[in-house]
Amino acid sequence: MRRLVYPDELREAGSCVTPEPAGGVGPGQRVSPVAEGPSDGHGARLWGMVAEHAAGHGRHAGVADACAVAVAAARVSGAGLTVMTPADSARVVCVTDDISARVEELQLTFGEGPCMDAYASGSPVLTPDLGSREAFRRWPAFAPAAREVGAAAVYAFPLQMGAVRLGVMDLYHVQPRSLESGELRDALLLADTTTLLLVGGEAASLDHPDAGAVEGLLSEREGYRAEIDQATGMISVQISVGIDEAFVRLRAYAYARDRSLTDVARDVVARRLRFSPDPPADLGGQPGGASHEDG
Amino acid sequence: MDSDRLSAAFVELADSLVADFDVIDFLHLLTTRCTELLDMSATGVLLVDPAGDLRVVAASNEQVRLLELFQLQNDQGPCLDCFRSGQQVNVTELSSAAPRWPQFVAQAQQDGFGAVTALPMRLREQVIGALNLFSPAPGLDLADIRIAQSLADVATIAVLQHRANLKADTVVVQLQTALNSRVLIEQAKGVLAERLNLDMDQAFTTLRGHARTHNRKLSDLARAVIAGTDDLTPARATPTPESD
Repeated sequence: MRRLVYPDELREAGSCVTPEPAGGVGPGQRVSPVAEGPSDGHGARLWGMVAEHAAGHGRHAGVADACAVAVAAARVSGAGLTVMTPADSARVVCVTDDISARVEELQLTFGEGPCMDAYASGSPVLTPDLGSREAFRRWPAFAPAAREVGAAAVYAFPLQMGAVRLGVMDLYHVQPRSLESGELRDALLLADTTTLLLVGGEAASLDHPDAGAVEGLLSEREGYRAEIDQATGMISVQISVGIDEAFVRLRAYAYARDRSLTDVARDVVARRLRFSPDPPADLGGQPGGASHEDG
Repeated sequence: MDSDRLSAAFVELADSLVADFDVIDFLHLLTTRCTELLDMSATGVLLVDPAGDLRVVAASNEQVRLLELFQLQNDQGPCLDCFRSGQQVNVTELSSAAPRWPQFVAQAQQDGFGAVTALPMRLREQVIGALNLFSPAPGLDLADIRIAQSLADVATIAVLQHRANLKADTVVVQLQTALNSRVLIEQAKGVLAERLNLDMDQAFTTLRGHARTHNRKLSDLARAVIAGTDDLTPARATPTPESD
């Protein structure tokens, strides 16, 4: 396994313009391996690096840490994170340096670029050389402008979980180059981690104990995910909310009761547990109010 | 083996590989055809995710999906051995394999299976997943295995849609995209199950039937269902038989 060194020139937390999502592992907390059973631990290793990076800065793990680790793991020059909505609104939430800030800004200004395409298609858009004819044809305004500010390659990864589409993580490099397969794999995994951290931010705002939530979630998602996804769909109908909020409520419910996500999801799918729009009084206003059904 | 049925199935599968086909829909069709053609009880397809873990992306029924999950959770079974070695694993008599995979064999027998064949989905030296076939003993003979392996190869091609230029980086991207489509479908199944009071198999059949009838891509329809912009009318809620 490649040994990973954080680049010294990495820009720090100051560049992150949103409040840190509180989800994840707290500073100084020991990170236990999330991998159980079949996993060979790539996800666990990267999550450990994100938590370690956060601890090194005395904070909870957040999207800025995921971006920093993505830069190191994919061996690129910088990363930027833009949160988008289908209704065309977009907000840059994190950049690791000036060039990545400009890259994000240019895409939003021109309304074109790998980031826009990755969001629209739901697939990563890898552009190893912005100077290529193909890149110019595809993004006549963005490609030359991005090269002008110092980005020669851009790799855009959608932040998504099924129908939940939150935005895009862009990595850039100062020289044209393709990502190696290990680097690409790590970038994909970190995009997943970032997605969970973004959702974690919302979960935290529901005021429930969230320590280790993302770590737990990463391990939960290995092998079990169908029930979680099915339950998320069911809950969204039960409480008439979007799929992303339904997922937040499912997580909130599981963590508030110290149960595993899979366990709760199975109860929902088996119709032993229903979520209700307003938490019943006996739950003391806990998030994700739900009621048990017999049978 | 009825060669007319066999060629009809390959023609049908090849015809489905048009531009912009839906990979989950295709893999489901492939598991259905595999099961029928080879007279199997059930068929499943697993793909590797970026973390190196296998995930179930298609199964001819819910029972076999759970058995595949069981293999993954217990980290033992023919499918994992096949994936890790890149070699075909053919077990004609499951009980004889009990020492090798005690938990898997017990569960598979409880589900009524007596034989299993696991075939690698390979691209050159890279293994991207496995196709698993379950049946009563004695399972597949060598001629059948050749056919099943061709079907596994077709599945590989379907997942790696850009056939002309398969570099290592596009493979992992294609896999990731296919796996996310699966998440989307599961979310839509949940929405439909709740809205129309169906079980998950019925929800999938309803979703797929509606997509076929209205000539829509499965994942597009799934998105619309989740967004609430396509409320499959109650008239369509009756699960249609898997006849397509």
